[in-house]
Amino acid sequence: MRNRDLSFWLFLTPVLLGLILVVIVPLIYGTVFSFTDWNGLSATTFVGLEHYLNLLHDQEFIDAIVFTILFSVVSIILLNALGLSLAILVTRQIKTNNMLRTIFFMPNLIGGLILGFIWQFIFISVFGDIGEALQIEAMQGWLSTTSTGFWGLVILTCWQMAGYIMIIYIAYLQNIPNELIEAAKIDGANSWQRFRNITFPLVAPAFTVSMFLTLSTSFKIYDQNLSLTNGGPFESTQMVAMEIVKTAFSANEMAYGQAKAVVFFIIVSIIALTQVYYNKKREVDM
Amino acid sequence: MKNSKFFAKMASAVALSSMILAGCSSDDSNGDNGESASGDKIQIDIFQGKVEFKEQFEDLVALYEEENPNVEINVETVGGGTDYAPVLKSAFSSGDAPNIFNVTGPQDVIDYKEYLTDLSDTEAAGAALDGTLTTVTDGEQILGLPFNQEGYGLIYNKAIFEKAGINPDDILSMADLEAAVQTIDQQKEELGLEAVFALPAKEAWVLGDHLANTYLAPEFNHDVMEAFEADTVTFEKGDEMKQFVDLQFDYSIQPVLSLDYSQQVEEYFSLQQVAIIQQGNWIYPSVEQMDPEFAQNIGVLPIPVEGNEGSLPVGVPNYWAVNNDFDEEVVQASKDFLDWMYTSETGKEAVLNDFKFIPAYEGYDTSKIADPLSQEIYEYASNGNTIGWVFSGYPSNPWGTGVIGPNIQKYLAGEMTWEEVEADAIAKWEEERQ
Repeated sequence: MRNRDLSFWLFLTPVLLGLILVVIVPLIYGTVFSFTDWNGLSATTFVGLEHYLNLLHDQEFIDAIVFTILFSVVSIILLNALGLSLAILVTRQIKTNNMLRTIFFMPNLIGGLILGFIWQFIFISVFGDIGEALQIEAMQGWLSTTSTGFWGLVILTCWQMAGYIMIIYIAYLQNIPNELIEAAKIDGANSWQRFRNITFPLVAPAFTVSMFLTLSTSFKIYDQNLSLTNGGPFESTQMVAMEIVKTAFSANEMAYGQAKAVVFFIIVSIIALTQVYYNKKREVDM
Repeated sequence: MKNSKFFAKMASAVALSSMILAGCSSDDSNGDNGESASGDKIQIDIFQGKVEFKEQFEDLVALYEEENPNVEINVETVGGGTDYAPVLKSAFSSGDAPNIFNVTGPQDVIDYKEYLTDLSDTEAAGAALDGTLTTVTDGEQILGLPFNQEGYGLIYNKAIFEKAGINPDDILSMADLEAAVQTIDQQKEELGLEAVFALPAKEAWVLGDHLANTYLAPEFNHDVMEAFEADTVTFEKGDEMKQFVDLQFDYSIQPVLSLDYSQQVEEYFSLQQVAIIQQGNWIYPSVEQMDPEFAQNIGVLPIPVEGNEGSLPVGVPNYWAVNNDFDEEVVQASKDFLDWMYTSETGKEAVLNDFKFIPAYEGYDTSKIADPLSQEIYEYASNGNTIGWVFSGYPSNPWGTGVIGPNIQKYLAGEMTWEEVEADAIAKWEEERQ
C-alpha cells in the first residue's frame, strides 16, 4: 500500500470530485443552513443552536426516531437471518439452484414506490378478502393500525432486500474451502456443529458487510414508507426520513428540517461506525 | 522498466479523468432572461401544479402561440398539492425561476412577495368575482389571478336516493341527514350497497382541511385572512363536527384508516357501492372516466352546519402569479397571456369546456358549465350560499394535514377522545401563531 504516487491520485480524481460536489459540499452547506432561518429562498439571520434545542422536545421527531430504530432492529435481524438461510438453501446441491437465486433476488429490482403500492394492494385487498373467506379477523384492516403498519413495512423491506443480502452471503459461503468441511466431517462433527464452528465464523466478514447495508438502508427508508402507509395512521408509522421531508417541505421549515437531517446523519453514522468496528473485531482470519 | 509503466499509468489516468470531467461540463450558453437565443421571440416559462388539466392547458397554449407568433410558451407541470411547492422553491433558489407560477394561499404570497408582479391593471383582475382576490390583495396591489372556483360537500348517487325514497332537497340539518342515512342503511341490501359512506380517513386533507374547515369557517366569519391572522381557534362548532365525523365513520366502509381517496372515488363511489361521499367537484373527471352514464346522475348536498344550512364551502384553490424578476417586455407578455386565457372568447371557451372549471370571473355563459357537479356548485356560489374556504389560512406547520387531520384519525382509532382532539389542535394553533 505504499504506491500512492501521482497516478493514484489522478485515478481517484473523478470519484473524489463527484464525492465532493454531490456529498461533501451539500453536507457543509446544509450544516451551515441549519444554523440560520433559511426558508428555501433566502436566509437572513443566524439563529445559532435554536433549531437543535427545539429538536429536543419535538415529540413528532422523537417518535419518528424511536419508530425507525425499532423498525431497523427488527428488520436487520430478520433480513440477516433470512438472507443467510436463503444463501445456505441455494448453495446446497439442488437442481433449481440458479432459478431460485434469481427468484429470490428479483424483488430487489423493483423500485420502492411501486413495491409499496403493490404491497398496499396485497395488505388491504388480498389480505382482506382472504380474511373474509376464512373468517380470520386478524387479516382485516391491515395498515389501518400502528402495529400492522409496522409489520407491513418490515415484511415489505424483508421481501425486497433479503435476496440482495443472500447474494452477499452466497459469495462468502462459496469461499469456504471444502477441505475444512471435509476434515470436520471426518472428525465426526454433525451438520449443526459444522455450521456453528466452521461456516458461521468464516462468513463473519459477510455479516459486517450485510449488517452495515441493512442498517443504513432501513434507517434511510423513505419511498416504501411513503407509498405503503404514508406515515399513517395518524403519523404513527412515520420514519425519520419522511418526518424530515415533511418538516422541510410541507411545514416549509427548511432550516429546521436541515437541522433534523444533520442530527439524523450523526446518529446513523455513529451507529454504523460502531457496528462496523465491533463486527470487524469478531472476524477471523483463515 | 519502472518508469515506462509509471508513464503508462499516468497517461491512462489523465485520459480517464479528463474524459469524465468533460462529461460533466455542458455547454449551456442559452440566454436565460426570458429571451431565447434564436430570433426575437419572447419566451415564457409557465410552471403549474394542476395535473388534471395539463393536456387541455397545453392545447390552449398552442392556440395562443398560433395567434401570437412572437411568443413562445413552455409549460411545465408538476403535480399534486404537496409536490409542487418544493419544486417551485428549488427552481427559485437555483436561479431557474419560471415567469408564471402558482401561489395557493396567504403564506405563499408572503414567501414570494418580492417576486410577485402587481396584476391590478389586467382585465382579468377586474373581472374576478367578489371575494376571490382577498388572499392575494396587498393594499392596492393584486398579486395573483384565481384559477377557478372549487366546492365540496356530500356527493350523492341520485338513483339510490330515489330508490330509497329520499328527497335530497329536504336534507338541510344534521337531523335530516342522519335520518336519510339511516333510511339508506336499512335498505342497503336491496340497494346493492356495501355502506352508506366511504370515509377516506387515510387522507389527512379530507379530514383536516375540508371536513374541519366546514365547521371552523363560521368562527372566522368565512374569511381566510381572518383565519390567517387569528391567534387561536375555539372550536365553537366542535360538537357538530364530532357528530358529523361520527356519522360518516359509523356508516362507512371499514376500516376507514386505510381507505384512501382513489378507493373512495373510484372503487366505492363510481362502482356504486356507497351512496354518499364527502368530496368536491374535482372528482367529476374520475367518475366520468369510470362510468360516463353514472356521472350524469350525481349531485352535491351541503354538509349540515347549524346556522349555515344549505351552503356549500366554495373557494379558490390556486392563483396564477407573474414573476417580476424579468424584463418589462416578458412580464407584460406573461400578463397578456393570462388575460387572454380568462377574458378572450377562445380562452373562456376552453376554461369552461376543456378545463371544466367553475369560472372565478364575470362574463361567462355559465349555463355552459360542463358537468352537473360544477353546475350545482356554481349555483350555490352565485346565490351566495357559501361557507368560506379558510383552510389556506390555517397555520403552516401544516395545521390541517399535520395536526387536526391526524388528531381526528387518532379519534377514529380510539387513541384520543374528542376533547383531546380539540385541546391539542388549539394548543398547536396557538403555539404556531405566537
